[in-house]
Amino acid sequence: MTFAANQKPYWLTENVIIGVSRIVFLAVFFGIWEYVARTNLIRPIFIGIPSEIAKFLWVGLFVEFTLERHLLWTLVSTFLAFTIGSAAGIATSLVFVTWPAVEKFSDPLLSALNALPRIALAPLFLLWFGLGIWSKVALGASLTYFIVLSSAVAGIRGTNSDHLILARTLGASQRQIFARITLPNAVPTIFSGLRLGLIYALLGVIAGEIIAAEHGLGQLLSFLAGSFQISGVFAVLSILALLGMSLLWAMNRLENRLLQWR
Amino acid sequence: MSEVIGIRDKATQAIGSSEEMTAGSSGLGNSKSVLIQNLDHHFGDNFHAVSNVSLSLEPGEFVSIVGPSGCGKTTVLNLLAGLFPVRSGDVSIFGSPPRAGRHDVAYMLARDSLFPWLTAKQNAEFGADIRHMDRGLRSSRAAHLLEAVGLKGFENSYPKALSHGMRQRVALARTFCLESQLLLMDEPFGALDAQTKLQLEQVLLSLWMEERRTVVFITHDLAEAIALSDRVIVMSSRPGRIIDDIQIDLPRPRSISALQKDPAYHRLYSLVWSKLEMGLQL
Repeated sequence: MTFAANQKPYWLTENVIIGVSRIVFLAVFFGIWEYVARTNLIRPIFIGIPSEIAKFLWVGLFVEFTLERHLLWTLVSTFLAFTIGSAAGIATSLVFVTWPAVEKFSDPLLSALNALPRIALAPLFLLWFGLGIWSKVALGASLTYFIVLSSAVAGIRGTNSDHLILARTLGASQRQIFARITLPNAVPTIFSGLRLGLIYALLGVIAGEIIAAEHGLGQLLSFLAGSFQISGVFAVLSILALLGMSLLWAMNRLENRLLQWR
Repeated sequence: MSEVIGIRDKATQAIGSSEEMTAGSSGLGNSKSVLIQNLDHHFGDNFHAVSNVSLSLEPGEFVSIVGPSGCGKTTVLNLLAGLFPVRSGDVSIFGSPPRAGRHDVAYMLARDSLFPWLTAKQNAEFGADIRHMDRGLRSSRAAHLLEAVGLKGFENSYPKALSHGMRQRVALARTFCLESQLLLMDEPFGALDAQTKLQLEQVLLSLWMEERRTVVFITHDLAEAIALSDRVIVMSSRPGRIIDDIQIDLPRPRSISALQKDPAYHRLYSLVWSKLEMGLQL
């Protein structure tokens, strides 16, 4: 009991020390940045100015609400791209596992499509789906699809052979084997594919918006960079980093909830 | 993968049905016992696994098969389980040929093969659930069995939280939760340390004494075979033949720990050991 009581404050002080040193580090870092930019050691046109970045964020988020609007477009596109891409990926994996001949047949075609840098499809998607969100959704989904497909196939194929022997000796039906053994066994692998797929959906959407769009954080980024508002660019980049982190955090929360047994 | 299993099952059934007739015509169809006659098995062209094995098991008998590794003892068990088709010889289980998935046979693997996403209780119920046993019945059976194997209080633990020995206890509970008359066990304690092994042998004996089902137990551990069994079958190295069939007349109920100091037990041990040595030289 006394041992535990002694442990806790120590653990707490360690965390406090780490937290304080992070704040100090960031303050020093931004201070130097501000100084270097203000005194023109490096021209602010290249690196922006931290106080201007903060101002841009403040105005964009709480005065004009422009950042929220762009964020919403990006979020909706990412969500659609992720949902469509991963649903199609999982559906294809089920087809492959049920009819291996289909996989054999389509393997070279899919490999070629997967090897193709998907961003190169952006001009085509713009032509097909227009300047709105659907060209971005298509780009993001095309990235998510292959990642989720390969992880789902690996997960479903990775069934423990002992489990299958047991199922045979128990007289389990094909349906029981799939629902009670194959599927739960594949869930962790599919989830790691989904996590990666989500980040790639965001990547595809942002890339699509940078190339040509009417709304979205990528479009804003491209506009700001094109008009040399570098502090604005850094502000959008910080929002994108936060967005990526929150998406991953939400995904991890869901995974831990669903996969408590691990 | 699942496709392959489906095809194999059909093959087993097809071969099974032709054998049913031979079994019937040669008068093998005793509905209580397990009979193996002139069993021969090759894998591929050159691998002669089992040669001319004949064996019969009375209802409620606990029979162990021992032999050097690679002697085909697991092959005999897998043929009984119907995991691959009998090509040469006759096998009859309660009057019908072996088939994977028949409900009067339960199979226990060397590794615990618990499902990591199920709790101990759900794992113990798994087999009975697959075989559509009534929910209430299987739940009370599993609860009783988990208590009997010494896991009361761990019902809701996931396998990752259990030790090797505890996981194999759950696997025992899962096997006994099935209402099968024939239990096939493939070195279930092979991967455990010596102390845990002795404990689990005692657990297995007490479970078996409750219902006295027929057991075929594969092991390479002579001490284990003698302590558990009514009969020990000694097999030679490949191709596996039966060298001897030794009655173990130690009184029941047995205490595994008391047996360790019992001279009769040690006499049997040296008898079986000398047979096994003969088998290695053959």
